[in-house]
Amino acid sequence: MFALARLIVVGFVVLSIVYVALSLYSRSVRRGKLTREWEEERPTDDRDSFVEQGLEDYDGSLRRKLILGVYIAPVCLITLIVYLNNFH
Amino acid sequence: MVYFKWIFWIVFWTLIVAFFHYTLPQKDVVRVTGTEIIRKDFSGLSRFFYAQADSGDNEVINRDLRLLNTTRANGRVMVYRNEDTGWSWPPYFKFDSSNIQAEASEHISTRENPRWVIIRHYGWRNPFLSIYPNAIDFRVVDGPEAGKGIPWLNILILSAFSVVTLTIWRLWRRFRSSRIDPIVENVQDGFDAAGDAVADRRSRVKRWLDTWRAKK
Repeated sequence: MFALARLIVVGFVVLSIVYVALSLYSRSVRRGKLTREWEEERPTDDRDSFVEQGLEDYDGSLRRKLILGVYIAPVCLITLIVYLNNFH
Repeated sequence: MVYFKWIFWIVFWTLIVAFFHYTLPQKDVVRVTGTEIIRKDFSGLSRFFYAQADSGDNEVINRDLRLLNTTRANGRVMVYRNEDTGWSWPPYFKFDSSNIQAEASEHISTRENPRWVIIRHYGWRNPFLSIYPNAIDFRVVDGPEAGKGIPWLNILILSAFSVVTLTIWRLWRRFRSSRIDPIVENVQDGFDAAGDAVADRRSRVKRWLDTWRAKK
């Protein structure tokens, strides 16, 4: 059972690093998009508040939550491998 | 220095190729001739090439090891070990060694009345190190000429590895040309300037010495 504990701990740490990195990257991409959008269309006078508002919307969006797939996908993959190699 | 660089990269890529050749699954068409269990000592050099005790057990210095004796279509023998990989490396997540042993003993056949199976395995057979490839699973096939199928998984994994390697290599090239090369050139310019200055100083000393020599 020690091996399972090790897999879970190491896996959680590695995936958390990936999750944080991906979240920061995705947020910066979104920030860039919002800035460009503001410069092209000038929907409001204040650029910063427009970008902040857009980022707040992004924080509540489904797209933001999709990054949680970083944790879900490997668990599904391992479940699939366990099934195929042992019960198929 | 150039040789050193070459040797480094040759060793590096040999290790990478060996790693994949050891870890990725391969298929063999064989006839199971028997199953056996030997007592195996895990304190030696070959420990590295074995998995661990069955998933529910504790690790001890020696334990029983399940083996599958087989004969290939060309008449040569191959012995596989049958070990749980459990939750550890390589990630085959194999827990059913006992079941595989039971199924394999069901398919034991003779030369006169052969039953062929395709064994999926990873690892190497090496008599000097006393190591065996680990059988993952097997299925019954019609005959020794049965097709093994296209190794999609290996293609996928090796393609992904190539993409990642090429990306890292390109990022490194870009980083080097934009950040490191200018610094190296700068340092080289500095050396050149220092060399010129030394040469200049030396020629001045020489001229001064010349003033002491007899005029021709």
